[in-house]
Amino acid sequence: MNKSRPIYAPFQFDPSGARHLLVTDQPDPPADLNTNVQTLTARTHTADAILAFLPPHLATQTTGLRLYAIGSEAFVWDVNAIALAAGMGAGEVHLTRAGPLIRRVYCTHCQTMADDVATTITQCPGCGATLEVRDHFSRHHRAFMGVQVDAEAPGEIPAPEGFRS
Amino acid sequence: MRLRIAEITVLSPGIRKFTLEPLAGLLPAAGAGAHLVFDIPGATRVHKNAYSLIGGPQARTQYEIIVRRVEPSRGGSAWLHEHARIGDILEAKTPQNLFPLAHLAKKHLLLSAGIGITPFLAFARVMRTPFEWHHCSRAEDSAAFAALLPPGPQVTLHTSRNTLNLAAVLGTQPLGTHLYVCGPELFNETVQTMARALGWPESKIHTESFASAAGGAPFIVHLARSGQRLEVAADQTLLEAIEAAGIAAPYLCRGGACGACELPLLQGTPEHRDHVLSPEQRAANKSLMVCVSRARTPDLVLDF
Ligand code: FES
Repeated sequence: MNKSRPIYAPFQFDPSGARHLLVTDQPDPPADLNTNVQTLTARTHTADAILAFLPPHLATQTTGLRLYAIGSEAFVWDVNAIALAAGMGAGEVHLTRAGPLIRRVYCTHCQTMADDVATTITQCPGCGATLEVRDHFSRHHRAFMGVQVDAEAPGEIPAPEGFRS
Repeated sequence: MRLRIAEITVLSPGIRKFTLEPLAGLLPAAGAGAHLVFDIPGATRVHKNAYSLIGGPQARTQYEIIVRRVEPSRGGSAWLHEHARIGDILEAKTPQNLFPLAHLAKKHLLLSAGIGITPFLAFARVMRTPFEWHHCSRAEDSAAFAALLPPGPQVTLHTSRNTLNLAAVLGTQPLGTHLYVCGPELFNETVQTMARALGWPESKIHTESFASAAGGAPFIVHLARSGQRLEVAADQTLLEAIEAAGIAAPYLCRGGACGACELPLLQGTPEHRDHVLSPEQRAANKSLMVCVSRARTPDLVLDF
């Protein structure tokens, strides 16, 4: 097991909170959701709209709030970064991975970020390098590292595969 | 480390401030929230008492502590009130800080009662982040505390006439606020229970309690490794009984807060008085914090 991969708990309502906000880049929130949970889903908001809504909203909130983010790795870590900047910390933010197995990839050669990458081999939209998407998730960049595959032996490119996790 | 009593200030009939200085050289630097454990002479044995340093501009040349005479006294504070004189020399361990300010906090909320004012006096001196401090006092001590509290709208002294509305204070703090609680056991419990009920996460609740730990019934402890049988007196802690037998046991806070003094238990049922063990760990009945915990059974057997 790759230690640089965050481990996500399945979604669970956290009864220690006094107020609850759930945001997801998926169309539907978890089934049987507690009715006290305010939700923003992809049915009504784009991921970008949710990420834009959060900072000013959290600035008005008081301690006691629980924030749940459900979705792609890129989305939940973007939400986490906003929550940390707002002063939330351990026990107040819960991240759950959901949806298609796509990754945000950080090109280690030109620093370009590519969203929604679905295969282990991909072309960097910035420098055009053929990247192998590593299982290493950088919390700093909130993305997976993409490293040029044929740097040493040009032309030797493994077949792209879908991600298994 | 040896410290000389340089000054004794009577703040109220039950509260005194002691200024301590090194015999030579400079004192070790101690961050806000640090405390000092003293060896205080007693009639029958040496007491080890922990006191928060209240900080101050001369932190490297003087330490200041504030001591309340505890009723019924466990000895240490009574000696400081009745027998300590300027020029007396006390033995102390290098200061430890188990109650530091959280650096990522956006705001600090300080709630103290009685002598629990002391670590926050040190906090207030170094605070750069916005803070709000509520201090609760009995009427007879309020003048002494009013003189110690820093001025400013962020500090409120509560007495019976303007009691602290805990729910209102805890229920309206912005995200990113860290809560610090310091006072008598009942105060600490009340504040923490209310904070949890209002959704405060454990990661943002910080507490320090110096066991003015009222003793309890005497009991017997057997140390399995050395085959010793010790009596723990009513006004003595288990840790003090072990130390009185000449055995060095580990400790840091002596207040049930840090976990350093945990010893494995072989037999008997402890009365847990610490803030370290979870309910599951208590139920497992495998260890206890000897600085504060006592016995529910007549004997305890420790693997020590
Ligand atoms: S010495 Fe810290 S818990 Fe006992």
